Amino acid sequence: KMASQIRVVLRPVKSIVVRFCPFESNVESTRKFLGCINHKKIQATNRNCEVTADVRHDGSEPLVDVMFADGERLIMKGANLTTLEMLTALGSRCSAKELKEEQKSKKKS
Amino acid sequence: QDNGYARLLRRQVEEVFRDNRMIAVCQYNSMPGEDVVLMRYYLRKHNIEVKFVLNEIIRPLLSQSKYKNLLPLFVARNILLVSPELKAKEMLRVLKGVPQINLLGACIDNTILSRKGVENLAKLPSLEVSQGQTVGALALLPSQTSSLLQCGSAHLTALLDEHIRRLQAGETGSPAEPAPAQSSG
Repeated sequence: KMASQIRVVLRPVKSIVVRFCPFESNVESTRKFLGCINHKKIQATNRNCEVTADVRHDGSEPLVDVMFADGERLIMKGANLTTLEMLTALGSRCSAKELKEEQKSKKKS
Repeated sequence: QDNGYARLLRRQVEEVFRDNRMIAVCQYNSMPGEDVVLMRYYLRKHNIEVKFVLNEIIRPLLSQSKYKNLLPLFVARNILLVSPELKAKEMLRVLKGVPQINLLGACIDNTILSRKGVENLAKLPSLEVSQGQTVGALALLPSQTSSLLQCGSAHLTALLDEHIRRLQAGETGSPAEPAPAQSSG
């Protein structure tokens, strides 16, 4: 499926909160994103990353709130994004952080 | 489609909606098989069944029934937790231990509830307790009225009793004391 094709390494991620109102009509991509994030391949990259689903009923926009370990925060508003776009955005940021970490550890050693 | 399998699945879904009082819709994110089996086991203990549903089957069915408002829930992968009894509290307790299943909403006794609605329903006291509380509240006013009405005559009776007792004490002992003043009662 989609989740196994896109490589997302969750190591630099501390927590992911997916907020949506299931009775609204613009939540499909956000819900599919939640399903993909829970895929075992992606979960296996970081067992300590907490993925929570915040199910509301207040007409608020679907939202993905990613908190990284270095304090950075990524907020994706899912109403006008596809699942693929959200996954690639998260994946690219994660790999960028991974790269930075590797370079830092190389410099130290 | 009109193939036999689709017809069978459709019939099953119709049965589910007909025979159960509580139908909860949850998002299913991939779970290891043993966890699914465990969850099914714990829910079965409370007479709650887990049914996997296909959106293509259930969407056309719902759009033509009275459950139209549940339609937006059926995107991505879903499961139904159904029960002929209302076991909202037990269901929430089991689901708390399963983070990969997210409760989206439910149709309980032909009433569509959001997740918050289900949580509120679980917090309500049982029917017997609520009935007891209602009876208590309804009985409170008449009992207050009756005690108010009886108050005057009860007071008068008590005063007369006291008067008689003092008169009797006065006969056996010292001379009679002047009668106590009549209360306005």
